[in-house]
Amino acid sequence: MRTASRVLGSAFFESGFEVQDAPRYGAERRGAPTFAYVRASRATIHERGIIGHPDLVIVADESLPAVPAAAVMQGVTARTVVLIHSREDAAVWKQRLNLDGLVITLPTSEANAETPFVGSVSAGAAARLVGVVSREALLSAVRAEIAPFGELALRESERHVLEAYESMAAHAGVVVEGDEARALDYARPEWIRVPFEEARISAPAIHAAATSVQVKTGAWRTMRPVVHESLCKKCWWICSTFCPDSAIEVTAENRPQIDYDHCKGCMICVAICPSHAIEAARETEQRSEGPHDA
Amino acid sequence: MTRQLLTGNGAAAWGARLARVDYVPAFPITPQTEIIETLADWFDSGAMPGKLVTLESEHSMITAAGAAAATGVRVFTATSSQGLLYGMEMIYAVAGWRAPFVMVNVSRGLGTPTTLESDHTDVLAARDSGFLQIHCATCQEVLDTILMGYRLAEDTRTRLPVIVNLDGFYLSFTREPVEIPESRAVSEFLPPYDPQNVRFRASAPTSQGVAVLGGSPYSYFRYEAHLAALRGVEVYDEVASEFEAAFGRRHDAVEAYRCEDADIVFVMMGSFSTKAKAAVDELRRAEQKVGLVRIRLLRPFPVEALRRAVAGVGGIAVIDQNLSMGRGGVLHTEIASALYGEQDAPRMLLSFIGGLGGRDISPEELFEIAAETRKAVDSGRAPPTRLLYTAGELREIRKLQAIAEVERREPEQKS
Amino acid sequence: MSETLFTRMKDLPSTHLLGAGTPMCAGCGGLSALHEIYDVLGPKTVFVNAAGCMTLLSVYPFTPFRGSWLYTSMASAPAGAQGVRDALDILVEQERMPEEEDLEVVVLTGDGSAYGMGLSSTSSAIERGLDFLYICYDNEGYGNTGHQASGATPHAAKTSTSAGPRGFAGYKKDLFSIWAAHEPAYVATVIGSEPLDLARKVEKAKSLTGPRLIIALAPCPTGWEYEPRESIDIGRLAVKTGVWPLKEYESGTVTHTIVPSPRLPVAEYLQRQGRFAHLFQPARNDALLAALQARVDAYWDQV
Repeated sequence: MRTASRVLGSAFFESGFEVQDAPRYGAERRGAPTFAYVRASRATIHERGIIGHPDLVIVADESLPAVPAAAVMQGVTARTVVLIHSREDAAVWKQRLNLDGLVITLPTSEANAETPFVGSVSAGAAARLVGVVSREALLSAVRAEIAPFGELALRESERHVLEAYESMAAHAGVVVEGDEARALDYARPEWIRVPFEEARISAPAIHAAATSVQVKTGAWRTMRPVVHESLCKKCWWICSTFCPDSAIEVTAENRPQIDYDHCKGCMICVAICPSHAIEAARETEQRSEGPHDA
Repeated sequence: MTRQLLTGNGAAAWGARLARVDYVPAFPITPQTEIIETLADWFDSGAMPGKLVTLESEHSMITAAGAAAATGVRVFTATSSQGLLYGMEMIYAVAGWRAPFVMVNVSRGLGTPTTLESDHTDVLAARDSGFLQIHCATCQEVLDTILMGYRLAEDTRTRLPVIVNLDGFYLSFTREPVEIPESRAVSEFLPPYDPQNVRFRASAPTSQGVAVLGGSPYSYFRYEAHLAALRGVEVYDEVASEFEAAFGRRHDAVEAYRCEDADIVFVMMGSFSTKAKAAVDELRRAEQKVGLVRIRLLRPFPVEALRRAVAGVGGIAVIDQNLSMGRGGVLHTEIASALYGEQDAPRMLLSFIGGLGGRDISPEELFEIAAETRKAVDSGRAPPTRLLYTAGELREIRKLQAIAEVERREPEQKS
Repeated sequence: MSETLFTRMKDLPSTHLLGAGTPMCAGCGGLSALHEIYDVLGPKTVFVNAAGCMTLLSVYPFTPFRGSWLYTSMASAPAGAQGVRDALDILVEQERMPEEEDLEVVVLTGDGSAYGMGLSSTSSAIERGLDFLYICYDNEGYGNTGHQASGATPHAAKTSTSAGPRGFAGYKKDLFSIWAAHEPAYVATVIGSEPLDLARKVEKAKSLTGPRLIIALAPCPTGWEYEPRESIDIGRLAVKTGVWPLKEYESGTVTHTIVPSPRLPVAEYLQRQGRFAHLFQPARNDALLAALQARVDAYWDQV
């Protein structure tokens, strides 16, 4: 998403706009949700930080809207255009997320679901949707941002970016500049006087064990490991020991039980099972509640 | 009741002993060393149960102090200037743990250039950290303030560590008569430390000092510590009243000396304020209406008490023994912000900087400060900030500069 | 060999104590070692943490620990451990806390602190004979800040501050020897990909008192540039090529617990990692590879 924001930001800049773009890091972790934002304006941009009322939201990982902590739809209104990389229909998403505004999908396939070019694709699509960025500006931006990654990456990015740009032809210019916050009739902030609370409540301390289990890191996955019982030799300790995240337990009958709420999809268990009894399967769109075993 | 001659450092050690501290992480620095040597001796001899441990730096020392307090014991430590600054990261960190303890700072000027002598710039660097801060003017106050300091730190309304400041050399190495209270009376005034839920034990897993993601939670934790610091004003006053009832000595957050009808007032902190008291007495004999306001409690800042003390006064001379580079005296700024907008705030607020690196402030200088302040009140014009410095002193500097060859001589030609 | 609970793989636990849901990277080699260590150490512990990747294990209100935790700073975790240990001892000695409430104090630190900023406080804690355990997860760089070179970075490795054609010019510091020179109670190297060896060493460390220090090599998908699924394989290669010797120090003697024989060529380990790609592309840097091989050979020649 950092690539997406930088390519789009540079493309706007090439097109004569003032630009402000930045990635937003939560914990800087491989596999965890990240997002980035871009502001573009003809005039100097004074506003800063997260965008309260986006004109366009691009969702590169379709599992994220289901994750509350990712807050993907924050600030979205009826005038926001929402673009989602997904195999499903825009109509399905519009209903699922209860959106009043325009929803567009960028089709993903088996081949490109884990593409490293998702950033470029997002930027290319966005460039067409905003209507003010030319192909030339877009390619110039891609060259500037992707060149450090090598010739091959550059050529592939250029190809993907132009494909995405073309694919949005029907919606060219549908994203328009919104208004700034208006001082005449703004929604008043709900200020309070923070009440004093004794240290036993207000110190930054956690008075409980293992509260981390409430964080469903299973949302990080793009692939999931599936145990084939028929192949499992019930050695019983290997996959469970080597899972770094304590996401595999072994039952009384020596069967490995994968905790899909927390499995990050690192695939170590797939790689080290000596019987090759664990398979890497595509994560399904609809995240089910319980574990899946073949 | 035992009244004996004690140095400020000796009084500090007695304060820790009477407070029955369990643990003293230590690291030596001039002018504090006598404190930890005395305590080490008492731990070794069994006069105090518990332990003193020498760490390898003040940064580690303050970490160990906070960690032990966070585990649930009563902790004491001491440092000065360069050591305080070396540990400054942890000063902020342990205050945020909300684990209470008392740290004595023996104030000393900060390098550069290196000095061993006293001023307040060091302890003021901890002003914003969350540590509460009290400034002592006599060796008696040092002992008393440590006892009061534990009550202030451990109160459930505050739960913040406390710095008790005493001036290097002028108090640390100077003997004065000090009343050493009876141990039993102290135990009644200061019961054992109850850590509540800030401690470590097997049956109650706790994660302390954890990280946070997001400005809203961060703001909550930081501001709650600040609100607790503000509660320190009322807690301090209660503790001071109880201390007076138990031991007969009153140590107000803001001491007002002969201010009732004063039209000029000195404002100072620390041991040199007793010199100002002597000057006030002399000026009164010369029929001038001068008083002294001494700030004892600096954090939290007792805004109301200050306003009451100077209400109706015509001119204030703030005498700072510290320097904020590029602005001037820190106490001056604190006083100005506390008085701004107050209806009967004094019209004239003058700033004097003196006593840096232990430089004396003579009685004549105090008389002259009063005269300048009166002139300002009469004319309605305050002079710019003045560093107390004489022509004679500058001449001495020139002599030193000549020796240091500030104007470098041309190298001699070799034939 | 002394008594151990861990003679066979099946002696390792099948359920794990450390809670899931932490924000460590998928495939984190450090977490791999930590969760194995925690199974042996148990919840009657207080982990005193130095700044690094694992600081983010506990982010309010979430923690994976079933025992306790205290975050200190980058440089002073051993001093924090000193404070906690001393306070617990005082409370138990003075009968202000029942003995069963006592905890083992464990420092958890990355290589950034252990090999560098924290070396002073670690040295002093050992010198004072502090009774504590010290676990360093070593991913050979300042991982949490984006993998810049640290005192633990090996020669020729690419990091974000050594991205030139020859990689890092320095050499990995020999922390094991530095610690052993202090003559502590115990020093050991471990790795998550050798869980039985790791469990035995942690079990032994647990049974001793005094300063006990462990370094776990932590293969790092993010910093070393490989797919997360390869973490265990790369760990195994680190051992089989002799790059990561598995050894322990006790009472003046160093013993190697696993001796790779035959030793695989170092290149097989390096090839799997993007941080050494410049040694193979666009052309094989035979000179540098030979130098790296020679260093490893020289180590094992004197064992």
